[in-house]
Amino acid sequence: MFENKTTGLLLVLPAAVFASVLFLLPVGILLSEGFAGSEGGFSLGAYVEFFSSELNNTVFWRSLRLGLWVMLTSAVIGYAAAFSIVQLSPKSRGRVFALIILPLMISPVARTYAWLVILGRTGLVNQVIVGLGLSEEGLQLLFTETAVFIGLLQLFLPLMIIALISSMENMPRDVVPAARVLGANWFSVFFRVILPLTREGLVVGGTLVFAGSITAYITPAILGGSKVLMLETLLYQRVTVANDYAAASVIAMILVVMSIVTNLLLKRLAKPRNRRA
Amino acid sequence: MKPSSTATGTIIGLTLVFLIGPFIVIILAALTAGNNLAFPPDGLSLKWFIKVFTVESFRISFFISMFLAVFGTLTALIVGVPAAYAIARYDIPGAGAIQLAVSSPLIVPGIIVGLALLRYLVIPTGFTIMAALFLAHAALILPYAVRVVTSSLQNLRVDVEEAALILGCSRLGSFFRVVFPNIRGGILAAFILGFVTSFNQVPVSLFLSGPGVRTLPIDMLAYMETTYDPSVAALACLLAIMSVGIVFLAERFLGFSRYV
Repeated sequence: MFENKTTGLLLVLPAAVFASVLFLLPVGILLSEGFAGSEGGFSLGAYVEFFSSELNNTVFWRSLRLGLWVMLTSAVIGYAAAFSIVQLSPKSRGRVFALIILPLMISPVARTYAWLVILGRTGLVNQVIVGLGLSEEGLQLLFTETAVFIGLLQLFLPLMIIALISSMENMPRDVVPAARVLGANWFSVFFRVILPLTREGLVVGGTLVFAGSITAYITPAILGGSKVLMLETLLYQRVTVANDYAAASVIAMILVVMSIVTNLLLKRLAKPRNRRA
Repeated sequence: MKPSSTATGTIIGLTLVFLIGPFIVIILAALTAGNNLAFPPDGLSLKWFIKVFTVESFRISFFISMFLAVFGTLTALIVGVPAAYAIARYDIPGAGAIQLAVSSPLIVPGIIVGLALLRYLVIPTGFTIMAALFLAHAALILPYAVRVVTSSLQNLRVDVEEAALILGCSRLGSFFRVVFPNIRGGILAAFILGFVTSFNQVPVSLFLSGPGVRTLPIDMLAYMETTYDPSVAALACLLAIMSVGIVFLAERFLGFSRYV
């Protein structure tokens, strides 16, 4: 630690100015625009108007609902996957872990595009459905909430698995066998042993997945189109189609508030872990 | 008493099929000899991979994305390394607020930043879209640069710097001759992380695009809306191979995951 505070400030100044001028200032103006009345002054008119539209309400609740569903599903799959991976020998655990994080390195556009091939009218899934005689022409799978859900799940599941693996690795090794020996079935092992001991990882993974899902753009844009709008695709549409900056500002505020809440939650949870380390 | 290895094996297998399977589908779909995006592919050929290189807009947007990723990351490092040094070594007043400002690009969703820059920087001041894109990408990478370099500075003992200073080295000299060689790995890791983040970035660039100025992922999205041929699949494969290759090499020679 060096004492000279001025030098320290001078070193950090460019970064702080860069971030404030480029980020905080324009974003702040954009957010404040939502509170401007039509004749100046403060007004909540934009918010009232935003939530009085049925489409906007649908999109708002759909984003929250899909976010929750993706979070819950990834938690269920994540626990099963993380628990199985932790049982592996260190060598194969490393390999599987590398495969789990591999998708995170790849462009989300590429990752989402694959689902067009799989879920399209003549795609893989429909070939199976038609082949089995379940439907004559195949089902409309693209541009449905289900398609967006599947895309988001594939995009964010790795985050949940990583978070759960790291908290399971910190779990004392013998607790699960001990509970089994003492006669607990897998159901109570999970709810009374594993869940309480990995709660931190669950919350970290859950918030990352939830925040990622509700602020996603690419997945709803490709797999939902204009039929299944989510908050960010609605924002894009309001601006490019209707020049409606008041609505854009309201959506921006919703997104920013959700991001901040998520980050505060994560920070809170990350703290005790750092103290222990 | 352990869970049966058949059960755990099946769970891992299914998870990997869900996560990795789509890539295999898209690779095979891109290798089709037919003219439609289909799986299973209609014969095998590399023609769509070759076609990607002949699409002019892809070529232009590839270079724009490359430029943004390389120079945006370099700019973020030039601004970010001194900040990381100050955060790791000095007791700065208001450190919390400064760290919050520097990490704000991580918190504010990119689409909002892009829109805000378009409305309040590009339109009123006549800034070019390209300049705004460049600044936005640099600012977006800044938090990664600061975080990765800060953590590698925190792993470097202060004693070595103090020793250099006592032996008569100047502050700047000790940074370049003692600190820098020791955090080179961290800086390279920050560069790679920044490069991949910027190159794959969509939301920030969404509003910041104009005639002739588009990043590659945005161009792909636009192409997809009008054309349903396998060239986007081929391009997606090439990009995936590039990202995975960079990260693999970085892990191999640098132990990349230590820094991230």
